[in-house]
Amino acid sequence: MDIFLQQLINGLTVGSLYALVALGYTMVYGVMKLINFAHGDLVALSAFAGLTIYVEIFGEGTNSLFIVLSVFVITALIIALVGVLLERLAYRPLRTAPRLSAVVSALGASLVIQNSIMLIWGPNMKIFPSNLFPSTIWTVHGVVFTFTQVMIMGVSALLMVGLYIFINKTKMGTAIRATAIDQDAAKLMGINVNRVIMIIFIIGSSLGAVAGLFIGINYRGITFDMGWMYGLNAFVAAIMGGIGNIPGAMLGGILLGLFNAMISGYISSEWAETFTFVLLVVILIFRPTGILGETIAEKV
Amino acid sequence: MRQSYKIAIIFLIIMGFFPLVSNSAWLAVGTTFLIYSVVAFSQDIILGRAGAFQMGHAVFFGLGAYTTAILNVRFGIPIIYTFIPAIIIPLIMAIVLAGPIIHLKGDYLLVATIGFNIIFIQVVQNDIFGLTGGPNGIFGIDVVKIFGIEFMSQTAVYYMSFILLALTLLIMRNLDASKYGRAMFYINKDDIAAQSMGINIRYYKLYAFALGSAIAGAAGSMFAVQYSAVSPEAFNVVQSIMFFTIVLVGGSASLPGVLIGTFVMFVLPEIFREFATARYLVFGLAMILTMILRPRGIWPVKFGNIPKFLKKDAK
Repeated sequence: MDIFLQQLINGLTVGSLYALVALGYTMVYGVMKLINFAHGDLVALSAFAGLTIYVEIFGEGTNSLFIVLSVFVITALIIALVGVLLERLAYRPLRTAPRLSAVVSALGASLVIQNSIMLIWGPNMKIFPSNLFPSTIWTVHGVVFTFTQVMIMGVSALLMVGLYIFINKTKMGTAIRATAIDQDAAKLMGINVNRVIMIIFIIGSSLGAVAGLFIGINYRGITFDMGWMYGLNAFVAAIMGGIGNIPGAMLGGILLGLFNAMISGYISSEWAETFTFVLLVVILIFRPTGILGETIAEKV
Repeated sequence: MRQSYKIAIIFLIIMGFFPLVSNSAWLAVGTTFLIYSVVAFSQDIILGRAGAFQMGHAVFFGLGAYTTAILNVRFGIPIIYTFIPAIIIPLIMAIVLAGPIIHLKGDYLLVATIGFNIIFIQVVQNDIFGLTGGPNGIFGIDVVKIFGIEFMSQTAVYYMSFILLALTLLIMRNLDASKYGRAMFYINKDDIAAQSMGINIRYYKLYAFALGSAIAGAAGSMFAVQYSAVSPEAFNVVQSIMFFTIVLVGGSASLPGVLIGTFVMFVLPEIFREFATARYLVFGLAMILTMILRPRGIWPVKFGNIPKFLKKDAK
């Protein structure tokens, strides 16, 4: 039972991170029908950028709520800018091209970001300082929570609720949903599709940046190629929940995190990825549009 | 289409004489180029012709290589007899793996096939049944012996790969002219229209998977012979992405396109070895630029002569 509860906490932590990253994938896919392969690398970039900002601007060892908050905000702004540039340079010129061309462009962008990280910060693992968050640990009935884990779950939950309200209750959110259903019709209704896409990249990249910083703070070691695995897991989460569906990405992320943690806790961590993809294939066979995805009849 | 036969013949003649003018380092690059071209053509059957988004092709390339390596090193079977199982096992695995997911649309299929590749690498790295040798792979694969003659020189391996590529080109030509090739082409153009014309989409897509995987398996077997070793890194997702990219950068379903794609993605990096660290950065930029400037690939396929008055209409 103790293992179960402990893995539940670990799973919810990882799951929250997957959900944050998955939101970036699912929003871009919803509107542009494109797998943004570079999104995972943006997450990795944010961990490196955040580390540099913290060490170079604020100085290692200092810590206060203000500093931590500024690191998060500045990093999120930088990554949002990179995300917008990415869309402008690599995706916008291909919006009317065959769909696979954009996929290749996304793969190229992923290579570019990943190798830029390697050229700037070097190929070796970087270690995040441990004092960004207080190292408080609570033990409840033998189950250990760290302060960082609680923060990850709390902040992710807040961001997701905020995003849900933004998408469902605001004018811009309505425009985003309309664009996702039919770009041309949205354009005819006077929605500025380019602006919608820009906003999506800003939101998706900032959420990814928060996830990247949390990954650095929680797991400490960051490598230039870590974005690929987080990105892939998050994308799997987005598909499991139903791609293009925002609550689906949140649900998929949390479920995948829990599933991973339970497999690692009870079966074997060596086979964790195999189980992840077996689960994905099983879900795709029985519910091809994901758990919350709707089946839409194809128009001819 | 005529034009591409001419290009194929010129290409084969050039590659046939290549060993006479090259040193041994370039001969090794040339052999790898031939083998990767075969894999790229087999990827093209699935992706470019049948239009199934396969991003796990390295699995079947790897299955062929590992079949040859395991049968030869673990069971002592001569290489020449391992060619057949190295074709049949990937073929069967393709049907078994792709069968249940072949109905998935576009990107879903793409992610599921990436999943196959990740599972394959994990199976191989965890040294399943003590057969695959874990992360280090398998060393010491024999040379090819036929009737007691050993084909061990680099030139011999080169010409074996050359024959394999020539056979692949022949298969591609026959496919283009056959009912199967035409069915795949229709499915790729418009699957709903193809289905309403009575084309069994599931059957032809699986056929493409099986044929492509069998050819990739043969190439894998040759790859194992060339390096006399196999290891998991040669068959990971990055390789699959490369094969996927080759077809799209070159031009899908285009014979010269796939050859150019293989050249650009595998031979140019060899030439620019000195810039090892910045190489992939430039590579990524080149992928983006190629797609922006030529969204249908460097050498897109052309189908006959479309009359001018139709062209204007269709844009």
